Amino acid sequence: MLSAVQEQEEGSMCVGLPARVMNLKGNMAVVDASGAKREVDAQLLEGLEPGDYVMVHAGMAIAKIQDEENEMLEDLLK
Amino acid sequence: MNAQTELARKILSEYDGPPIRVMEVCGTHTHEIFRLGIRSVLPKQLEVISGPGCPVCVTPAEYIDEAVWLALEKNVTICTFGDLVRVPGSRSSLADARSRGARIQVVYAPEDAMRYAGEHPEEEVVFLSVGFETTTPASCLALQKAEEAGITNFSLLTANKTMPGAYLAMGDSADAFLYPGHVHAIIGTGLCEQLAAENGISGVAAGFTASDLLLAFALIVKKTQEGKPFFVNAYPRVVTREGSPAAVRLVEEWMEPCDSEWRGIGIIPDSGLQLKKKRDVYDARIRFGIPKMDAARPTACRCGEVLQGICRPTDCKLFGKACVPDHPVGACMVSGEGACSAYYQYGGYING
Repeated sequence: MLSAVQEQEEGSMCVGLPARVMNLKGNMAVVDASGAKREVDAQLLEGLEPGDYVMVHAGMAIAKIQDEENEMLEDLLK
Repeated sequence: MNAQTELARKILSEYDGPPIRVMEVCGTHTHEIFRLGIRSVLPKQLEVISGPGCPVCVTPAEYIDEAVWLALEKNVTICTFGDLVRVPGSRSSLADARSRGARIQVVYAPEDAMRYAGEHPEEEVVFLSVGFETTTPASCLALQKAEEAGITNFSLLTANKTMPGAYLAMGDSADAFLYPGHVHAIIGTGLCEQLAAENGISGVAAGFTASDLLLAFALIVKKTQEGKPFFVNAYPRVVTREGSPAAVRLVEEWMEPCDSEWRGIGIIPDSGLQLKKKRDVYDARIRFGIPKMDAARPTACRCGEVLQGICRPTDCKLFGKACVPDHPVGACMVSGEGACSAYYQYGGYING
């Protein structure tokens, strides 16, 4: 039986993990999330390529992470 | 530190205006704000309150009772995210049921539950489908794959919830929301713009790193001083205005809105999702004829007020005494994302 802590860590539903796409096969992608490799479903995202970063929730890639600078936000702070 | 973060810190450290109440609506925000020590760099006037954004915390006790009933009376295998296992129902938790022989499988993703069902055709498998906009697409995906694979011993016990109704219900609890970034990665930000324009509800969509959070709080401070309702997307790396139409479509294929009870808060109209009628065969309530569960007995637990920002975890008599993570009374102490658990784990005395 898992300890309470393990249960929370392994089963916490709502934590999004950023991960790098390693390879793609059909709708599935193998991703690397801080060293942990996992197969996730990527059918929601179009045009994914290896090397892209995605946000993973509950075994599903829900969004692509863009790496553009955002000057608009910096301007709002000024 | 980059220029943006430096500017953000400057705004926060120099703020000396009137009090600002910010409600974070996401359990992960609650925890990251503590874990990263963000509260220690926020101005004293900025009060951070934890809203109803931890799916485990807002799932009513009767839902746990339904799952326990399925496991014990119908010999169903329950597949669930781990953080639901110890949530108290009105009589027992799933952990208690397991000690009485129930089969409770902890899974990382709904798809794992579907796969388990495929590998165990002799068992009836029910996945506890809780969660917000970020998790619901994965539940629907599991159904889609079950259908494709011809897996017929798999169904969902739904308690999925959606955020827009909660924003409206909680709109008066705070001066601004720290909107949950990943919810809006799915539903987009049109709603937030509309809340600002039509309902006077302000907020900033925020990410989860230290610099994301500093930026979001600084924007809230800056925009609040301008005195007009506002919305800013401070997490454009992941959140776009249109969100994920593919995820929204997937959910709409399987589920439809319904009124939903939020533990400790009550029923919020159209804030839940249930399986569509034509998907009955995947609905555990119909499949097993689950009877209506009696309402939970009241305790001194103040989770409901904590979730609405009316009181802090430390204001509850049970906090840290009768209610601790190893023996939780309320759901906010059970879930790793709950406000009480965060206060207990990280100390509840930092900046209030």
